[in-house]
Amino acid sequence: MIEVNDLTKIFRKPIRGNGLSGMVKTLFSRKYDEVRAVDGISFTVPDGEIVGYIGANGAGKSTTIKMMCGILTPTSGSVRIDGVEPYRKRQQVAQHIGVVFGQKTQLWWDIPLVESFKVLKEIYQISDADYAERMDFLGEVLDITRFLTQPVRTLSLGERMRADLAASMLHNPRILFLDEPTIGLDVLVKERIRSAIHALNKTYGTTVVLTTHDMNDIENLCSRIILLEKGRILYDGPLSSLKNRFGNIKTLTLTVPAEIKAAAAPVLSPEVAVSEEDGKMVLRFDADRVALEQVVQYAFRDLKAMDMKIAEISIGDVVKTILEQEEAEHAEKV
Amino acid sequence: MRYVHLYFTCIRRSMISRLEYKKDTIIALFSFFFSNLCSLAALYFILQSIPALSGYTLPEVGFFYGFSMLPIALDHLFSDEFWLVAYFRVKDGDMDMHFLRPVPVIFQMFAETFQPEGFGELILGVALISVCAANLTVSVTFGAVAVLCVGAVFGAVIITSLKVAMAALAFIFKRSGPLLQIIYNFSNYAKYPLAIYPAFIRLLLIFVLPFGLFISLPVDTLLYGTHDPWLLCLAIILCAAVFFALAVWVWILCERRYESTGS
Amino acid sequence: MLKKYRPFLRAGAIDTMAYRFNILVWAVITVCQVACLVFLWLAVYRSSAGGMDAEIHGFTYREMIAYVVLTTIFNFVTFNNDTLWNINTDIKKGTVGNYLIKPISYRGKFAATSLGSLLTMTLMFGLPLYTAALVTLGSLGFLPDLSFPAFFAHLGLFLLAGLCASLLNDVIAYIFGVLCFYTSSGWGLNSLKETLVAFLSGTLLPLAFFPAGLREVVRWMPFAGMSQNPVLILMMKYDLAESLRCLAVSAAWIVLLELFAKFLFSRAVRKVTVQGG
Repeated sequence: MIEVNDLTKIFRKPIRGNGLSGMVKTLFSRKYDEVRAVDGISFTVPDGEIVGYIGANGAGKSTTIKMMCGILTPTSGSVRIDGVEPYRKRQQVAQHIGVVFGQKTQLWWDIPLVESFKVLKEIYQISDADYAERMDFLGEVLDITRFLTQPVRTLSLGERMRADLAASMLHNPRILFLDEPTIGLDVLVKERIRSAIHALNKTYGTTVVLTTHDMNDIENLCSRIILLEKGRILYDGPLSSLKNRFGNIKTLTLTVPAEIKAAAAPVLSPEVAVSEEDGKMVLRFDADRVALEQVVQYAFRDLKAMDMKIAEISIGDVVKTILEQEEAEHAEKV
Repeated sequence: MRYVHLYFTCIRRSMISRLEYKKDTIIALFSFFFSNLCSLAALYFILQSIPALSGYTLPEVGFFYGFSMLPIALDHLFSDEFWLVAYFRVKDGDMDMHFLRPVPVIFQMFAETFQPEGFGELILGVALISVCAANLTVSVTFGAVAVLCVGAVFGAVIITSLKVAMAALAFIFKRSGPLLQIIYNFSNYAKYPLAIYPAFIRLLLIFVLPFGLFISLPVDTLLYGTHDPWLLCLAIILCAAVFFALAVWVWILCERRYESTGS
Repeated sequence: MLKKYRPFLRAGAIDTMAYRFNILVWAVITVCQVACLVFLWLAVYRSSAGGMDAEIHGFTYREMIAYVVLTTIFNFVTFNNDTLWNINTDIKKGTVGNYLIKPISYRGKFAATSLGSLLTMTLMFGLPLYTAALVTLGSLGFLPDLSFPAFFAHLGLFLLAGLCASLLNDVIAYIFGVLCFYTSSGWGLNSLKETLVAFLSGTLLPLAFFPAGLREVVRWMPFAGMSQNPVLILMMKYDLAESLRCLAVSAAWIVLLELFAKFLFSRAVRKVTVQGG
């Protein structure tokens, strides 16, 4: 179980002067800019849950992850992994967590992958039987057997990421922290990684916390998401209710005859927003308030639709909308 | 016991890595011989223009030089990773993975690299000592041999301790390489008899950066019987113990200050 | 044309600033190290047949001390780049390719960074250090031949020689860096380079101590211009003609080595595909 309580991290960056005189001044004075990377967040992750941690770049995702795995110390507040603060008892916690930073490999660059695993086996004191069992499991779900004997530097990005994931799962951690595990990968590899995470979660009940920019990761993996913006939590809860927070929004995209214009179209109800995008007519409405059937009829009858596509609002759109609203509110305050 | 096993597993890993860079290893070996050749040549050129250096003849100075290589070689074998820590790894934020493992970071650093070049250095040192000893007329005593062995082995412990402590400062200052470099460079000055230095430098090289304690004094003991060998052995071992304990303490203190980069 | 290299010039300068702590510590401890070297030379002169008044290979002990002090300052101010290591890192991480597609030359980037570093170091440390050293050494009578206004001519030549030394150092570091393409790792090459430069540039001991044949060879190699020659120009141990010869040799070597570096890089780059992924 992960308990995060009023967690705050403030980075101090020395202010550098401009030009040579500024540089000389820097030599003698120390002034700092304070950046609140994480600003008083709290949440709890029960065992066996998969949590998606999302937000724009610089929202504080990686900083939180780093505090959760113990390599950053909070400015205030606390993180507890099964009751232990990881940045205080790093070694103790390390045995029970697995970490992947998508941008950085934790494998030895120059040696065959399997040699890295052998070293990790000793570091984590994995028994021969467990090791064999894990290698079978990981070999299957991540499909790494093929390149086990290649040096890591010769692996493609997708292979390396799978290798890194395998390395982080080798000691059967209770919690897995994944920072951008699918960054820069192609669709097939992403698919493979998602199913591996699923399999791990199902088979061993591993808790997974992952950050990502890919909304497909979220939709496929996470029962719960935490949306972060400027170091604060904007939303924390199940994926479905995040969508519902905006109602059951659907969009109808229509191909209509040229003479039908959005501005001049007959109005069905103020609940249905009509707009024109890329020469197509787009109807956006809440299906809980206006019946879909009614809107479809209206599209054919009044708008003379020749073709129609119905779509649910995507999670990406939702997040985008929330962030945009936040931005707008922020702008108003300023 | 667990750590012995783990150490050998990691060292095996390090050797496999080195084999991936055969060419570099060969160049490193060559450059190492070349570097010692240059230093010896410089010494030879200087001694050509004078009869003896503060009373020490050419074979005696050569013996000094050869012996000074032994503790340096032993240190070189086991603790090369600390150079990387001091110069690059902390600055580049490249230490995270070690902090995520359930093994002390200082142990991981020792286990990260094994430098076989150290063997070359050992061999060259022993060869130089042998050649120079053949041209010396000294009566070798058991005590003198003992103090040379203790000087070489525990001297290595002292050098390693200095290295560890200096590298640890990188956790606070991001890069402590230059500092380590310069402390380490003081070993160059223990390559010559202490007699060439004024009193305060001698004191510095015996009591502060004790390269003189485990290089010059043992050699003087062999050549001229200047010190009681057993007392000197005791002093070197004690010094090594204190330095090592201090180094580990400094490392642990500094390690706590380690923070990964943000973002 | 040169404008696009300015960020790197600036980065070199800022990098140098960022490690101010290291630089200060370095300076303090370097003084100890120079002191040790000075004692070695004092012992050498004390042990010589002629005693302290002896002149060994054209150096009195006073000049030798001045030489040791000035080469130390010179090396500290002039040799301040991580060119070899940065190339090595680029190769290991496979990021060399990133530079191949940018509209700047890989070589130019490093040269600019090194020059930025040289500029900062010279202004911040070189100026006060040289002034202090020259005034102190001069007033102690360790620089007997300081005569004005000839000194100003030598000072000008020295600055040029310093620039040449920095460029030579950078291009040599770059060549060794590019050789990392072939060895996949820079450790061996770096120590080879350091040894070569320390021995042949006169940092270890003045080249006058070398046997006659070797001395003549080293006189025409690029290394002497990286440490010994600039310092001896400043000390006015060289007359104008010899100073100009040194500068000409350095300049010729810079051109030659740059051409060689270009050739070497164009060949080595073909290996990028092997390393990258």
